[in-house]
Amino acid sequence: MRKMLVIAVREYQAAVRTKTFIISLVIIPVMMLGSLVLQLLLRGVSMDTADKHFVLLKHRDTDALVKHLQEEINIYNTKDVLGSSGQQIKPRFVIDRVEETAATSDSRDRQRFDLSEQVRAGTIVGFLEIIPDGDLPASFKEIEKDQKKVPILLRYQTNRPTYKEFSTFVKDTLAKHMRNQLRDQAGLSEQQALALFRPVALDPKGLSRIDPDSGKIVDASKEGQFAPVIVPIVLMMLLFLVVMMTATPFMQSVVEEKMQRIAEVLLGSVTPFELMLGKVIGMAGVSLTIAAVYLGGAYWAAWHFGVADLVPAGLLVWFVVLQSLASLMYGSLFIAIGAACTDMKETQNLLMPVMLVVCIPFFFMGPVLQEPNSALARGLSFVPFAAPMLMMARIATPPGLPWWEPTLALLVVLATTILCVWAAGRIFRIGILMQGKGARLGQIFKWVIRG
Amino acid sequence: MPAVAIDHVSKAFANILAVNDLCLEVPDGTIYGFIGPNGSGKTTTLRMIMRILHPDRGHIRVLGEETMGAANDRVGYLPEERGLYKQMKVRDLLRFYAELKGFRACQPAIADWLERLGLADWANKKIETLSKGMAQKVQFIASVIAKPELILLDEPFTGLDPVNLEVLRNAILDLNRQGATVIFSTHDMAVAEKMCDFIFMIYKGKKVLDGTLEAIQNAYGTDTVRVRLDGASSALGNLPGVAGVVDFGNWQELRINPGSDTNQLLAALLARGPVHHFELARPTLHDIFVRIANPEPNHA
Repeated sequence: MRKMLVIAVREYQAAVRTKTFIISLVIIPVMMLGSLVLQLLLRGVSMDTADKHFVLLKHRDTDALVKHLQEEINIYNTKDVLGSSGQQIKPRFVIDRVEETAATSDSRDRQRFDLSEQVRAGTIVGFLEIIPDGDLPASFKEIEKDQKKVPILLRYQTNRPTYKEFSTFVKDTLAKHMRNQLRDQAGLSEQQALALFRPVALDPKGLSRIDPDSGKIVDASKEGQFAPVIVPIVLMMLLFLVVMMTATPFMQSVVEEKMQRIAEVLLGSVTPFELMLGKVIGMAGVSLTIAAVYLGGAYWAAWHFGVADLVPAGLLVWFVVLQSLASLMYGSLFIAIGAACTDMKETQNLLMPVMLVVCIPFFFMGPVLQEPNSALARGLSFVPFAAPMLMMARIATPPGLPWWEPTLALLVVLATTILCVWAAGRIFRIGILMQGKGARLGQIFKWVIRG
Repeated sequence: MPAVAIDHVSKAFANILAVNDLCLEVPDGTIYGFIGPNGSGKTTTLRMIMRILHPDRGHIRVLGEETMGAANDRVGYLPEERGLYKQMKVRDLLRFYAELKGFRACQPAIADWLERLGLADWANKKIETLSKGMAQKVQFIASVIAKPELILLDEPFTGLDPVNLEVLRNAILDLNRQGATVIFSTHDMAVAEKMCDFIFMIYKGKKVLDGTLEAIQNAYGTDTVRVRLDGASSALGNLPGVAGVVDFGNWQELRINPGSDTNQLLAALLARGPVHHFELARPTLHDIFVRIANPEPNHA
C-alpha cells in the first residue's frame, strides 16, 4: 500500500505540476464559454450579405399570394436587412423570376429537376412553390391528417437546409397575410383578431420552497425549471470530460515509460500490480482535482447568483464517489493499453473498443434524461461501464431515486472496477517489459485469462 | 546462508530457452561477477533474482526468502537499460526511489551520495540536463540509496569514462566492505578479474564457469605462453605443441597442448628470430571467455 501511494503521489505531482495541466484546466472552460459568447456576439452579425437568389413557382389561384409575398420581400430588402446603424447586416432576397408551374406531373418533375440543377450550379439558393388547397399532392395527406386542414402548402427545395431565413420569412409572411384575410372576411376588428389568434401561454416553473432563513414560502424561480435539465447533463459531461482529460495522458506516460526503459527500474522496487494501481490512484487524484476546480467554480458562480440550492451537496458527494470509481475503472483500462503497446500509434487501434464502451452512456442520454425512471433508464444505469455517467444523470434528475438504486449501481461499478484493475494488472505485468512489437487484442485476452 | 540460492531454474521465451537448469549459490558478503556473451541469459537470471520475471521451473531464494512477486526492499537493482524520469530533479528522483524502498529519512544519504559521486551541484537540476555518464551515476545511486543488503547491477560500467568507472568501482567496493553482497554482470573481463570474489559464466543459458578466479584458472592450468616477437604473424606458424595463437599486435598468446615441452617451443621461436618476452602463464579470464564463447581460436 505504501509503495502504491508513493507511486500515486509522484504520478499526481508529475501531472498537476506541469504548465500543460494548468493551461488545459483553464483553457477548456474558457473555450466553452468563449464559443458561447462568440455565438451571442455573432448572432446579429451575418458575415455574408451577398444577395440570395430564388425562383418562385406559381400554381393556379396563387397570384395574389405571390404578389403579396413580393411586396413584403421588397419591404424586407429595404428595411429589415439593415442594422441599427443603417448598415446592411443580412442578405437581400432576390426573386429572379416567377414561373408558371408545368401542367402535367411529368413536366412538373422535369421543371423541378431543371431548377435543382440551377441550385447545384449555385445560380440560385432554392426554389419555392406555393401550392393551393386544391393541388395538394397525395403524399401530403399524412401531414394534413396531423395538422387538420391546411390552406396552402409551401414546397421549398434547396441543397442548403441549414439556411432557413428565406423559408421562415415566406412562411410567416403568408401565414400573417392569410390570417388578415380571414379577419377581414369575418369582419373582426384588429383587437378581436389578436384575441382570436392569441396562443395559450405556458409558464414552466420548478417547485416552491421554504427559505430556511426567513421561513417564508419562496415561489419557484425560472432557474429552478432549467436546473433539472441542465444539471444532469453538465455533471454527466463533466464526468466524461474529466476521465478523458486524465486517462489519455496517463496512457501516454505508460508508453513513454516503456520506451524510455523506466518501467524496469521501477519494477526493481515495486510489483507490476502496485505500479499500475499506484498510477491509477494518481490518475483518480488528478481527475478529482480537475472536477473540484470545475465544480468549485460552478458552485461559487451558483452561490454568487443566488441559485446554489439548485445543486444540493448530496449530489456533489455522489459525483465525487462516481467520478473516483469511473477514473479507476476506465483508467485501469487505458493504462493497461499503454502497457500493451510500444508506441502511441499502436494505442489508437486498441483504444477503439474502449472508447466505444466509454461512449455507451451518450447513446442513451436522451431517453434516460427524459424518463429517468423508465425500465430502460433503470436497466442501463446498472450496466457496469455505463453506470457512473447514467446513474449520475438519474440522481441529478428530479424527483431523485430510492436509495438502493445508486447504492446497487455503486456496488456494480465497484465490482467492475476491481475486475478491471485485476485484469489490467495482468496485462500490465506482461506488457510492461515487452519491447519491439505491441500486443494484439487476442493476445491481451490470453494474458488476462492465463496470467 | 547464501544471499542468493538458485536451484535448477529454467526460463524460456516462446521457443527459446534463455536459462537452462541453472544452479548457483552466491555467498553472503561477496562480489559475484556474471559474465557471458550477449543473449546468454545473464539479464534473465538477474531479472529472475529480482522477481521481475518468474522462472518456469525451479526455485530462487533471495536473502532467505522465496516469496514470488514481491519486490524486496532489501535488494537494490540497476537494470541494463537505463531509464529515468527526464522531467524530475535529481534530488526529487532519488527521494522517490528511496521512498519506494521504504527509506523515508533519506535526505542526508542523498546529499552524501551526490557529493561522493561528484553530483552535488546537479542536485536541483532536471535529469534531462545531465550527461549520459551523470545520469548513469544517478541511476546507480537510485539503486543503492536505500542501503540494500543485496545489490544487483546489470552492466554497471558500460559507457563510463575511466575516471567515472573508477569512482563507481570504488563505490561498489565500499558497499561490499560495509557488508552488502554485490552481483554484477559485465563484459569487461579485467574489471571482473580485479573486483570479483567469484565469477559465474553463463553460455546459451547454461552455467559453464562458477568459482573463484583462482579456481577457474587452475582448472585450465598453465597452458598459456605470452610472447613478444619481431614479425609475430609470420613467426608463429606451425610451432610444436601449440594448439592456438591469439595475436594482440604488440604481444601474442600461445595456447599449448597439455604436456608440451615449453623449452622446445622457446628454442623453435629463437630459431625464427629474436624473442623479446617469453612468459609461462595461466589463461586470463578474457582468454577463457573467448575459448568458451568462440571455441575456434585465431591461428596466426
